[in-house]
Amino acid sequence: MAAEIRVDGDTLVVDIIGMDKFWALKSRLEIPLAHVAGATLDPGVDREFKGIRTGGTHFPGWLTAGRFRKDGEMVFWDVRDPNKAVVIALRDETYARLIIEVADPRATVDLVEHAIIRS
Amino acid sequence: MGRPRAFDETEAVQAAAALFARRAFDGVSVDDLVSHLGVHRNSLYQVFGSKRGLYLRALRWSLQHQVRPLIGADTAVLVSEPALDLLLMAATERAPEDPEVAREVSTILAELDTAVRPETTATLLGMRLRARVTREG
Repeated sequence: MAAEIRVDGDTLVVDIIGMDKFWALKSRLEIPLAHVAGATLDPGVDREFKGIRTGGTHFPGWLTAGRFRKDGEMVFWDVRDPNKAVVIALRDETYARLIIEVADPRATVDLVEHAIIRS
Repeated sequence: MGRPRAFDETEAVQAAAALFARRAFDGVSVDDLVSHLGVHRNSLYQVFGSKRGLYLRALRWSLQHQVRPLIGADTAVLVSEPALDLLLMAATERAPEDPEVAREVSTILAELDTAVRPETTATLLGMRLRARVTREG
């Protein structure tokens, strides 16, 4: 597992776990729920060209962690196992998307989507 | 905002409605959407926020443009109408766990109930479900 995602009040909190803090150059992201557009289970996202790495680590087939710029957008990655990758789309944030590996992708998608509906 | 967004949103929503009606929400992956809709993954997330965001848009489009115009139509027409399929799938698969989908489904069912008796609405949907199984519709 690369990260833990939870909702704290009106904020989505992404805690990067273990050594991934080092690879991703990040330990925590906090996003207002109002800036979260949605969450999707998307294993196929890992097969796409990730863009230009502007910070972090990329070992193809093993680990993608850190900031990537693609098509004018900044995307944050922290994925080892693409089958557990969740895409969280953001608006009015530095990152257009967070692509994060979590232990239970389906539960995480439900958590984020229901938090958006409530907020 | 990123660059790749050269696609017709309405066409993409219509294509998504057809795909979700055939395979249901869980049966459609983002890879399926990207290949069937001809939309960049980036664009899909930029415009719709998530697969669920696109699904909601597709469901609302289908209810407004496919189902609502049929209210009051002859029973035989309704039963043979694939346009009811996304409503059926939404009612069985997504509505129990998604309050926004449940609201959309409840609203259109109430409209159908007003046009005919609630028992007739239930019969119609059941007959449509059966038509799907037997590929008559």
